[in-house]
Amino acid sequence: MKLMTLFQDTVGDPRTAAARLAGVLGLYGAVGDAACGNPPGFAAQKAATAVSLASVAGIDGADRDALYFAGVLHAIGAVGNAAYRKGERLSERMARMETWDVPAQGARVCLEIAALPEQTADFVRWQAECWDGTGYPDQLRWHGIPAPAVILSLADATARSGDPEEALASIALQAGRAFGPDTSRIFAMWLHSFGGEVETAEPPLDVLRADDAATAALLDLVANRVDAHNGVSGRWQRVARLTDLAAESLGLSARDRESLAIAVRLYGAGDIGSRDDGESSFDPLARLAIDERAAHALAAAALLDGNDALAGAAPILRARAEWFDGTGKPNALFKNAIPMGAAILSAAIAYEALEHKDRIDTAAGTQFDPKVVRAILEAARSRA
Amino acid sequence: MIELQERTRRISPSRLHEILLRYGCSSVVDPFMGLPTHLNFLKRHGIAVHGGDLLEWFVRVGEGIVVNDLTILRDSEVAEIVEMLPGRIYSLDMFKAWEGVFFSEEQCVYLGVWHDNVRNLRSDGQTGLAILGLWRAFCYWLQKTQNPDDMQDIPPSELAWSYIRQTEQWVIANMRRNTVRQTDVLSTINAQRADALFLSPPARNSFRSADARIWMWEAWWQGNPYFTIEHAYRDSLFGARAADPPAYARAIASVLSAAESYPVIVVQTTEQRIGDIEAIVRNARPNVEIVAPHPYETYLIATK
Repeated sequence: MKLMTLFQDTVGDPRTAAARLAGVLGLYGAVGDAACGNPPGFAAQKAATAVSLASVAGIDGADRDALYFAGVLHAIGAVGNAAYRKGERLSERMARMETWDVPAQGARVCLEIAALPEQTADFVRWQAECWDGTGYPDQLRWHGIPAPAVILSLADATARSGDPEEALASIALQAGRAFGPDTSRIFAMWLHSFGGEVETAEPPLDVLRADDAATAALLDLVANRVDAHNGVSGRWQRVARLTDLAAESLGLSARDRESLAIAVRLYGAGDIGSRDDGESSFDPLARLAIDERAAHALAAAALLDGNDALAGAAPILRARAEWFDGTGKPNALFKNAIPMGAAILSAAIAYEALEHKDRIDTAAGTQFDPKVVRAILEAARSRA
Repeated sequence: MIELQERTRRISPSRLHEILLRYGCSSVVDPFMGLPTHLNFLKRHGIAVHGGDLLEWFVRVGEGIVVNDLTILRDSEVAEIVEMLPGRIYSLDMFKAWEGVFFSEEQCVYLGVWHDNVRNLRSDGQTGLAILGLWRAFCYWLQKTQNPDDMQDIPPSELAWSYIRQTEQWVIANMRRNTVRQTDVLSTINAQRADALFLSPPARNSFRSADARIWMWEAWWQGNPYFTIEHAYRDSLFGARAADPPAYARAIASVLSAAESYPVIVVQTTEQRIGDIEAIVRNARPNVEIVAPHPYETYLIATK
């Protein structure tokens, strides 16, 4: 069965298509941050800082636009990287070596995204190189590191430190090692010019070669990589086949169905940051894992904070651990207060995870809405 | 004041790895390897690597991070490299010729101490790791002569310690046989068989403008502060005999001719030099793909 085609409503509107693509790129960046344990919003902050620093460093035009997207996508290589992948048990030494590959893996993904400015991939690739050649992945040294990649590295140091004055001190300490001997001057100039304040940067939409089919394919790519990272390859497609049919039979509007389809692709990202097997090791009908499920639901919804293009999926993701009888989490929503998309999603996830599929009937009326359970069972039968 | 070059050869091993994978290559020979950090990267990703160079310190480093699968340097061993050991007699004047010109008296003493200490290590692997770590400390000093106010004063032994400890992290096994040899390009090509040959040939007359950070470290390793890079390249294929454009083209052609048995040849050059190189490569091989992600990084991938 063919899955629902996303983003049908903006065909022919390049500006909306670009905004939507930027939204999906922002989401991918947020997933990358979650995978390697960066705080929420880190990628956006790094991108904004990089763009601001670039203006002082004399980097403009295409390089500056690419720098923005490189900042947003800086950690996407962590999704699927063995150092962070769920279930991997590596020694500390091997895990450290695997992390050295994150920038190169991220660059490879950027090269697959045809809509991005060309330079983006190389800025991602070389963002962790050090002046003295001790960086990774390529151990470039001295002036062999392109200036925009150095700016991205500076932006990383700034975003991690939180306090620009502290960042300046640490960058100055690293002069001649992590950074070039005069790099701290660029940073000092920026600090004096902007006072260390970083305003939210708007994505340079004009440089994106966006089309909705490619954006939908990118969202599928994100979902595939998240599932592979979590050790459950192909899971979102199995769930989506159920939710697409169930949403149609329950009469959801086109907009709600699209929000649900987006949520299906993203719910797995909620526990991408945890190293254990996550909620998949629990019985999906048991209350035992409800706290964990709710935390993952909130984490997945938080990935869409400030993301206007995909905002419709956030309430569905947030409520997918709610129970029909009002005893769910995090908000103990009752019956119709639970968005229908979330009710469908939670039932489909549970159905997909059950070894004995018939058991889902036992949760109708408590955990799940009975009519949703019926729709899921019908969807499963028609799929078979 | 010594001049440190801004133009630096850029080899991106992650990109080279992508190219090798695309062409199904699981082994590679690099006869102009230089500092073999790129071979270390390829080794880490399962490629069997073989390198060669005329400068001995490059080869020694290769023994540390390319050939060596297991040996690391423990804290106590690093301590025995970076500081003067009681009871050992050192040639403290060995690098006195550099004093006041490039380095302080203290730095020259340390260079002599390190020169002696690395020769007393237990294995080639440890020696290679130590040489690489110490070279980074040496580069730091040279850079600091240009930017005295921008860079921190770090005690020599502390600086050397941190850099040597860092090199130890790169030791990895790939369950393949990896080699490095100190020899000229044609000997390296003929000594090995591999799926691919990676060539990053030196530019014409480049030995006359070699980076001080490279030739001075060979001088350190040789214990001869008067060493010059022309000396090392004197009778080599890309030495003075390849000074004019036709001779240089002949030298490149002879390398490609010697590499006939390699299924894939990857030649790295620059946008500026591709005009000279491309015709020679196309003359040697019928199929040439050009990958040019950056003006300073252009690859000609030649297959039969």
